[in-house]
Amino acid sequence: MEPLTVAGTLDSLSAIAKYVVAAAADAGLDKKASYRLRLAVDEIASNIIIHGYDEACLDGDVDLQATIDLKTLTISIEDTAINYDPCAQETPDNLDKPIELRPHGGLGVYLAIQGVDKFMYERVGDRNRNIFVMNRPVTETVAEGS
Amino acid sequence: MAFTATLEQIDDVAKITLSGELDASTAGIFKEEIEKVSTENFKHLVLDMGDLEYMASAGLRVLIFAKQKMGSYVDIYVIKAQELVLDTLEKTGFDQSVIIQDDYPG
Repeated sequence: MEPLTVAGTLDSLSAIAKYVVAAAADAGLDKKASYRLRLAVDEIASNIIIHGYDEACLDGDVDLQATIDLKTLTISIEDTAINYDPCAQETPDNLDKPIELRPHGGLGVYLAIQGVDKFMYERVGDRNRNIFVMNRPVTETVAEGS
Repeated sequence: MAFTATLEQIDDVAKITLSGELDASTAGIFKEEIEKVSTENFKHLVLDMGDLEYMASAGLRVLIFAKQKMGSYVDIYVIKAQELVLDTLEKTGFDQSVIIQDDYPG
């Protein structure tokens, strides 16, 4: 798939979602997997836009690239916002607490990492790179190989 | 992306009907409706999610806001939620703080 570059603003979430859903369809992911991937990318993209750019008083773009191979769909999302590694955040330990006692943060990263088959973060120069990997259904990969 | 939140308040029940996609760019619309709810003589908040196709953590944060605004003695009902939206509520433990039903009254 062609890469997608969008502005690092909340208006871009719609375009990001369309791109991810299209990639999921191309990769043959089922509805549930497509939703989980869309949610994961949306959560990280939202954090980039709100915390990485807006709250840090920075402007920049968000670059997405979807790659499909025999077994996986990989979405990478890059930005030039402040250095932020989602993997370094602690898993919320308060999921059993009443919601009115919960802090507002942490849920997005949790949903993102839990929702995909593999998640990685890299810092490349001055860029954050978040990588989401989903396994393709076995029937799709068998069909391609035959 | 398209999202609407419509409030109806009758007696001690406030019902907000959500439709479309609830994410960080649209959660403010939902929050505005919560802020309009009059909390005098108020017992139940009903969230009709029958037409809600997608919900991100921004939607969950509005639920936290609602619970904090209304107090823990107000019950929040989530009705007609689609499977994948329910999945998010369950993964994050929010299903323990709201009453999930097919319809209201049950």
